Parts: sequence; C-alpha cells; structure tokens
Amino acid sequence: MNEPEPVDLSLLDPERDPHRWAVLMNATRLRVAEAVLRRSREVDPLVLVSHWARPILAAAAVILLLLGAATVFGRPGSQVTSQARRLAYLAESSTLRGQAPTGAEVMAAIRPGQAR
Amino acid sequence: MDMEESDAELVLRVRRGDGHAANLLLERYIRACRAVALAVTGNDADADDVCQDAFVSAIERIDACRDPTRFGGWLLQIVRNRARNLLRHHDVREADLLDERTVAGGHSPAAETELSELRERLRAGLAQLSETQREIVLLHDLEGWKHGEIAQWLELPTGTVRSHLHHGRRRLREILGNSETER
Repeated sequence: MNEPEPVDLSLLDPERDPHRWAVLMNATRLRVAEAVLRRSREVDPLVLVSHWARPILAAAAVILLLLGAATVFGRPGSQVTSQARRLAYLAESSTLRGQAPTGAEVMAAIRPGQAR
Repeated sequence: MDMEESDAELVLRVRRGDGHAANLLLERYIRACRAVALAVTGNDADADDVCQDAFVSAIERIDACRDPTRFGGWLLQIVRNRARNLLRHHDVREADLLDERTVAGGHSPAAETELSELRERLRAGLAQLSETQREIVLLHDLEGWKHGEIAQWLELPTGTVRSHLHHGRRRLREILGNSETER
C-alpha cells in the first residue's frame, strides 16, 4: 500500500493562538483543581480507614517485637508472657490475611487470664 | 521523572487527592482530547468546550475508570460521547466566524483572510471523512501519535488504523485537490 503524503494540518493546531490556548489550559487547570478538592472532601470513610491499615500493621509489628522481648526475658508462664503469645498470634494471623486486627480482637488478646 | 510515571500510577494518585497528578494527566492528554473533540464537532469553540468539560468530568468520576492502565482510551471515549451529545443538543453554532477574528495576530488582514480560508477548506475536507478517519488523521498527522498508540486508545487493530489513515489521507488530498482546481 503506497502511503499518501500527509496533509499539512498545522493550521488546525490549537496552539497556533497561544493566548487562546493558555486561556483554555488555565481554565481547565482551575476546574480540575476544584474537582480534585471536591473529591477529596467526599472521600468514603471506608477508603480513609483502609489507608490506615499499613500504619496499624507497622504498629502491631513494633508491639510484637516488644512483647516478644518480654516473652524471652519475662518469667515463663506469667500473664505477660501469655498475653504476648496471644498478641503475637493475632499479629501473625492479621498479617497473613492482610487486614489490621479489629479493636475487639486486640482487647480479647490482652484480656487477663484469657486462654488460647 | 514525572513523564515516566504511568497513567495507572497517576490515576491512583488522583484518587488519593493529588492535584499535581491530575495536571500531569491533563498535559499528557489535553491535545488528544481536543483532536477527538474537533473530529466530532468540526469547530474550534465546541472542541475547546468539550475537551475541557470531558476532562473535568473524567477527574470527577475517576473511580469509575475500572482499568487505570487504560485511562487514555476511557478518557477519549468520554470526550467522544460529550461531543456527540453536544451535536445532538444544538445545531453547530456559527461561532467560528468569531474565532477566526480572535485568532488573528501578527498577520496582515489579507494574510489572515487567506489563512482563514485555508483553515476552512481543511475543516470542510475533514468533514467529508468518516468520524473514525477524522480522529485517526488528526491524532496521527496533527498530534503525532503512532499507529500503535492510536490502535491502543481507539481499541482498533493496528492494521485497521493504518487502513483508515491511508484512505483518510487519500480522500482528504482528493477533496483539497478538487477544491483547489475549483478556485
């Protein structure tokens, strides 16, 4: 197929009139900024909470480390040791399922005398 | 560095409320949006309105873009739909007469009249192509998009894009050649 030469379409280039193009771009940027702002005000609370999942998991990992240390250096069979074991189990299972532990789960893990 | 960011990354940033990412998408796609709007509406004023409204609308409902890697195709479809709606809702206005006057700048009135006539002949020629041919000719020959890019965003096989471009160019040359001999 012999390709026909392209027709010069530069007369239709919207940037041939830089002023008009700048007006269009600036007006569009303004409206886009407003739209982004409006969207961020209407963010779904569930989406917001989902953004906290990583920090919560990181905090759980730190607690796990601290409690792990308590487990190693604490008295065997003490209440702290069993709480640490339950929290470690909870952090591990939360990480595996990719979800932050719920408040109820954490409370259950640290409740004194709770057997696993 | 920004230019290397994929559409998908920018879309996710916009969803998190990043206005800078929205501006990068705007700069990446605004000319293509305008070319598609011009291909459908056939006049500058409507093309400007449509591409601006369509882009803002795309940002407003960016959560509806199911596949952020295909943002470009999704956006151009919004532009196309808006442009068609506009045509349905009002007869093509005669605003271009005003546009031509405002475009003037740096040329003598005689030269400006000649440019204006040339522009009008180009528009009239393009108007005789199919809408898809117009889009492809404008995206390729005005915006410098490659066959593969056009195929990707218009969801057409590359061979079909080449064929539309070939026939569109040939038809446009015939039309412009005829109008030249009629003058």
